[in-house]
Order: sequence, then C-alpha cells, then structure tokens
Amino acid sequence: MDSLTMLKQLGEGMIVTGEIFFLTLLFALPLGLVIAFGRMAKNPILRTVSKIYISIMRGTPLMLQLIVVYFAPYYVFGIKMGSGYRMVAVILGFVLNYAAYFAEIYRAGIQAIPAGQHEAAQVLGYSKGQTFFKIILPQVIKRILPPVTNEVITLVKDTSLAFVLTVAEMFTLAKQVAAAQTTVIPLMVAGLFYYIFNLLVAFVMEAIEKKLAYYR
Amino acid sequence: MKKLFALLLCAAMTAAMLTGCGEKTPEAQSAVEEKEDVSETAQEGGKKTFTVGFDAEFPPYGYMDDNGEYVGFDLSLAQEVCDRNGWELVKQPINWDTKDMELSSGAIDCIWNGFTINGREEEYTWSVPYVDNSQVFVVAADAGIASSADLAGKVVAVQADSSALAALNSEENAEMTATFGSLNQFADYNTAFMDLEAGSVDAVAMDIGVANYQIESREAGKFVILDDYISTEQYGVGFFLGNKELRDQVQNTLFEMLEDGTFAKIAEEWGLSDVVCLSADEK
Repeated sequence: MDSLTMLKQLGEGMIVTGEIFFLTLLFALPLGLVIAFGRMAKNPILRTVSKIYISIMRGTPLMLQLIVVYFAPYYVFGIKMGSGYRMVAVILGFVLNYAAYFAEIYRAGIQAIPAGQHEAAQVLGYSKGQTFFKIILPQVIKRILPPVTNEVITLVKDTSLAFVLTVAEMFTLAKQVAAAQTTVIPLMVAGLFYYIFNLLVAFVMEAIEKKLAYYR
Repeated sequence: MKKLFALLLCAAMTAAMLTGCGEKTPEAQSAVEEKEDVSETAQEGGKKTFTVGFDAEFPPYGYMDDNGEYVGFDLSLAQEVCDRNGWELVKQPINWDTKDMELSSGAIDCIWNGFTINGREEEYTWSVPYVDNSQVFVVAADAGIASSADLAGKVVAVQADSSALAALNSEENAEMTATFGSLNQFADYNTAFMDLEAGSVDAVAMDIGVANYQIESREAGKFVILDDYISTEQYGVGFFLGNKELRDQVQNTLFEMLEDGTFAKIAEEWGLSDVVCLSADEK
C-alpha cells in the first residue's frame, strides 16, 4: 500500500480525533467552571457533592469511565442504546472527566486572587456578579492558561482512548491499518500526527497568553 | 478588545449554565430518541439491519483493506447472507475484550469473526461450525525452538480473551503452560508480532489461519509454525444466548450458499478452502 492511501485512511481518523478534541473542550471548559463554583460553594451539600465528583473522576482511569458511560445504560437501566451511542458516550466520558480537572484549575485561579480586590470592588459599589466577571475572571483566565494548556495537550493524546469503544479515531485506525498491512509505519505516522497537533495547540495557547499579557 | 472579551465570557457562561443545568441528560435523551427513530424507519422501510461485530485487526477474517473498507472472509459471508435475506449489513468493529457487553447490550446482532466455539458452547447460541481451525505456536525461525517442549522458561504471547489463551489454560495443556517463563497477553497480533520480531517474546500462540496470513505477509522464512498444535477447534457464528430465531435464519442461508457453491467460492477467494468445514450433514 502506498503512503498516500494510508494517509487517506488515517485522515478519516484525524477528523474524528479532532471532533472528540473540540467537542470535549467546548463542553468541559464551561462545565468545569460550574463544578469549580460548586466546589467553593458555602452550601456544604453542594460542596461535598462536587468534591466527591472530582475525586471519582480524577481517581479512576478514563478508559474505565468510557466503558461505564457506554455500557451503563444497558447494564444499569436496561436501555439498549445501539451503536449510534458510541460517539456520544465517548464525548460524554471525556467531558465529565476533563471538567473535573478544569474545575480544580479554575479553583486555583479564583482563589489566587487576593481578598483585597473583592473588598475594594465592594467599596466601589460593584455587585458580586460584576466583581466576578469584570475584575476576577479576566485575571483568572490569564493565570490559568499554562495549566489549561497542559490539560489540552493531554487531551489530544487521550483521544486515543476512544479505541476501547472502537470509535474509529486516529489511533484505532492506525492499529487496524498496521494489522492489515503487518507494518509499524501507520503507528509512526499516528505519533507524528499527535506531535504536530500538539505543536499547533502549544502555538495557539502561547499566542493567547501573549495577547492577554497586556499589563506586562 | 475589552468588549469582545466580555462578549466571549458571556457566551462561555451561558454555555456553562446550559450544560450545568442540563447535566447532559438532554443530550443523552436526544441520542435515545435518535436511535429509536433509526430503528423505526428501519422497520417501516422493511430493510432490517444485521449488525456483525468483528475484530478489525483479525485478517483474513475481518480487517481493513487498502481502500479503508472492512473486508474479510467472514464479512463476505455475512454480506451474502444479508443480500439473500434482504437485510442491510452493518459492519461494526468491536473491542474484543468487551464483545460480550456489546452483544448483550444489543449493539451488535452476532459475533462473526473467526469465533471459536470450543470452550464457549454454553455461552452463546451457535451456528454450525464453518471453519476448522487449530491453535498453534509461531516462533522465529532462527530461535532454535522445534517443539512446545522447547518453550519451557520462554516468554509466550497470546491475545487477551482469545481462544488460544483458553486453550493454553485448559486442563490438557495446563502442564505445558506451567513450564513457560511467562504468558503475556496482548491486545492485538500486530503488537505481538512486533515483540516476536524484536525478540522480547519467544512465541506467539494464535489461530492457524491468522498465523498463515501473518507469516506470508511478513519477511519470508522469518517465522515458522510449530508442528505440535495446542488444540484443534472450530469456528462458528455466535449469537446472543437464546436468539435461536436469528441463528436459524442465518444458518439456513449458509446451507443454501453451501448447496449452490457460493460458500466454496467465497472460501476460495480468501484462500481458506483448506480449512472450511461447513457440512449439510449437521443440518
């Protein structure tokens, strides 16, 4: 098989990998903020629930979580979801997992803002909502960009875990092509793809960081 | 710039609230509805789908060809069965480790992929065997291993949850298996062969059909199959336990194909004429 056909086959997987990546970020970033609020809430029930959620999501393998999300509807509720649920389960599993990590990053960022700023804003007559959105959050976003970049890069590589539900993402296809052609070249190509993808991610994140460094 | 930033933040927050409150149930629900729609239309349209679960890394029974299509002996048979019954074939690659969950959750209708009957008789509703297959050891030709007795103290690789593993762990072979240095379980044969090539494992236990394909498509003379087989066994199509109706329908179509010679033709196309064993006697 020439390299062009191989690239074409792997190309379809790249699209799926990109899909998992962008959909996960789209939902996990905002969900993480919600969980972070829960984690910092004054209400002890809300706080404990968020804490347990984060603990479970960080404390168990993502691969296991994907299997649970995919098979739980049948084994727990007896609902047959059918094959179309595969991709939904993958996105759901990734979002639930990554939101937990993002929540802790948000919390670190929010709690790093000195209490004096809240007090100053209060004196100046800002409401709580205004204080958060106009003063706190812009600073938080600047500060959490490096750890968020870390997570985003990990996410690019973690997309390969979708193979447990045999969603035909990049790595699943690379393995299938490698098996059919009995060669390791597709795996090398896959590795190169992940590396280039991550170079791109790092480049974009750095550009955003620079853009936001307007007080330096 | 600041306004744009604020706008983006607002958008993010709205999304946050929507996702937060929804807790994903709307998404999941819509997925259920979609699924129901699909099956309804499938029934209304009169075109029934027949979903075959297979390991896409198991040539020549099921794998991805040069055009990125899933092909193989078993898939060709399944296609012919579907054509004759007016069904639409859905080829669903599955993770071999979770095949039982896939089958019982209804994501697939059957497992049709060089699926060994022996040792699993009670776990699935089986078709009659259509391929006679044996479990063998593949070793590097220059390793100086001539029989299974030479494998004492060596590293042997086997696919996780495979029939080769079951054969090695069975009572007849327990003594031999105990002599191995270690028994490593691999996710797929390609990785196992890479390790065999690199010398980090000494033998790979697998089905003879797959072994022949692997050896032929790799460097000639590099690997050999040991003469003493681990076990002899047969392939069948596995249906969910108790699903006799579908089994009978598929099986009868297979017999039809045997009678008019289509079955033999497909076997020949895949170079498996020597190992097929479908026989009308068992009808």
